Amino acid sequence: MDTRLANTWRLTVNEKRFIETALSSGIRIDGRNPFEYRKLSIKFGREDGSSEVQLGQTHIMGFVTGQLVQPYRDRPNEGTLSIFTEFSPMADPSFETGRPSESAVELGRIVDRGLRESRAVDTESLCVLAGKLVWAIRIDLHILDNGGNLVDAANIAALASLLTFRRPECSLGGEDDLEVIVHPPEEREPLPLIIHHLPIAVTFGFFSSESLLVIDPTHHEEAVMVGKMTATLNANGDVCAIQKPGGEGVLQSVIMQCLRLASRMASDITKKIKDAVETYNTERALRKIKRHPTSITLDGSVNLKEKLNEPSGHNVVNELSRKHLEKPRLASAENASSPGNNGEGESKSSNFGRSSRRDGATSNFVGGAASWDPYSRGVDSDFLKASLASRGTLTPKKKQQDPTGERKPNESKPEESPGDVIPTTSAMDVSETGVHKGGEKTLKDAVKPKHKRKKKAFSSTADAS
Amino acid sequence: MEVDRADGRNPNQLRPLACSCSILHRAHGSASWSQGDTKVLAAVYGPKAGTKKNENPEKASIEVIWKPRTGQIGKPEKEYEIILKRTLQSICILTINPNTTTSVIIQVVHDDGALLPCAINAACAALVDAGIPMKHLAVAICCCSAESGYCILDPTKLEEQKMKGFAYLVFPNSILSVLPEGSSLVQGEPMEHGIITSVTHGAMSVDDYFHCLERGRAASAKLSDFLRRSLQSKLPGDLSKAE
Repeated sequence: MDTRLANTWRLTVNEKRFIETALSSGIRIDGRNPFEYRKLSIKFGREDGSSEVQLGQTHIMGFVTGQLVQPYRDRPNEGTLSIFTEFSPMADPSFETGRPSESAVELGRIVDRGLRESRAVDTESLCVLAGKLVWAIRIDLHILDNGGNLVDAANIAALASLLTFRRPECSLGGEDDLEVIVHPPEEREPLPLIIHHLPIAVTFGFFSSESLLVIDPTHHEEAVMVGKMTATLNANGDVCAIQKPGGEGVLQSVIMQCLRLASRMASDITKKIKDAVETYNTERALRKIKRHPTSITLDGSVNLKEKLNEPSGHNVVNELSRKHLEKPRLASAENASSPGNNGEGESKSSNFGRSSRRDGATSNFVGGAASWDPYSRGVDSDFLKASLASRGTLTPKKKQQDPTGERKPNESKPEESPGDVIPTTSAMDVSETGVHKGGEKTLKDAVKPKHKRKKKAFSSTADAS
Repeated sequence: MEVDRADGRNPNQLRPLACSCSILHRAHGSASWSQGDTKVLAAVYGPKAGTKKNENPEKASIEVIWKPRTGQIGKPEKEYEIILKRTLQSICILTINPNTTTSVIIQVVHDDGALLPCAINAACAALVDAGIPMKHLAVAICCCSAESGYCILDPTKLEEQKMKGFAYLVFPNSILSVLPEGSSLVQGEPMEHGIITSVTHGAMSVDDYFHCLERGRAASAKLSDFLRRSLQSKLPGDLSKAE
């Protein structure tokens, strides 16, 4: 017991007084306005339905998975949605494994209420066979870093991962149409969930002086505040949920002011989430196109990873043609890739809908890693440069020389959003392999030049750097 | 005789490595390590007062918490925790801070084969980031042996499942890239050639295992290089950790 007391963190009286005094002059310790959110960044992982949200110093990851289960007896036509929050000990020394603490349960409940009660996720579309099989969607939220205001960030992470999650398509077959066939992603494009609106949670902190309130409290402010309120609203101005668990009494006028502020914040954040998801979807569509080589590989090895699948023609064509108008950078990548992808000199838009691309199914493309993996075939050098550059250089180290021939992209998190095109040495690596020309295979590929280099580097043990 | 790998690597080739440190703010040390698609995040909380009941209070103890991507914590996670704990115990200097607990928390971000080696590497980098005193670092690698007796390094998840057997090997990180003549030998072999941890799955012949060991050791030199370089930028006076 002593050890636990010794390890808890407490705010000192001086710090508490400083924060309160500063706030009464409208100054916050991190320099924000009282009604300003911290910097929000939403990133997505390699798989569908995984998101990483950073709100200032708060860092949360969300994963969405789906499973076919039997429905609840009183709701035979609806799928289920369940939220699991993990307050990882990584986030805060006071978090412990085992039984979830009060705040963990509260967070889970707030996010759950926002999504379920407001019918944001359409559960009826998750039904496969009424009364027998429905989709159970499970959202796992991992709190990695507690920088304050976990509720808002967790909510955003849940929404971002729900928006990018794709579930496999099911169809009924067999005799009597009672057998359910789940189509793997290689066969049929997985479907996104139907989400009607985005409920955004906005948290307010109240302090001991009258009418002192802040939005998005940091960790220190949370230790000082005497009351808090979370309002979940959507961009249409509907209030989905309000949570004010005890704490100091607050005037009605202040509550109304909070709700007005919250609706403004909600529309801002909704826009940010939608932008991030759009970018991810574009990247994803591009990736799917990339994985369609027209020529088969020389060794003819069967693709062990997930096979390529044909994007449903119309959607992709429309989506991509729209993207081309908006984003010139992507267009350049497309331009560069289309001659490679397809030995015939056809125009871009007609490329994507072609069924002849199916013949690429047996290539040995790597799954999601095609954008940066140097070993995959048919990756265009421009696109590769762009995606590698978009990794960002958050670590100070820059590996300029690569004697071992291994690729070491500097990255801290997988990033799907495009960045500036910066030539890197890894691009140099790729150009040397000569396999990124897209479809056309040459004798060079048969010889596999990069392997020779690697063997040479490997055999020389005196390869001191 | 070339073994064809799905992503076109040759048998001795590792996947692209990436390592970044100090990514979390509350944790005393943190690192993210990715090998290809497998990505693991590790966080370290420095010595906390007290040890658990079954631990020896005369030494520092290490506590490992493994968080899978989704789902409940089950037996495989507990096994990983134990292996990681024993590995880290052998590289940390436990006599410096007796009666304290250092917590290492591992979060799996994505699993595409060679998960445990990735986690061990991430944990080492996080321990360095936190400034925990250690004797030397450890680098971990996964080697599989195929039916044909061939050994391939750093398999992806699909390759792992197809292989006859695979082994996770942990070697000490060499301080020098090239061992000079007359460097400290233990029983005729340099210290760097020792194995800290070896976990095998599946069946493989003794010769195959030794073959894997050799390959693994050679590759670990490259890994050590990479680890050293990515941690080198953390010079004293370079960083100021909040809290």
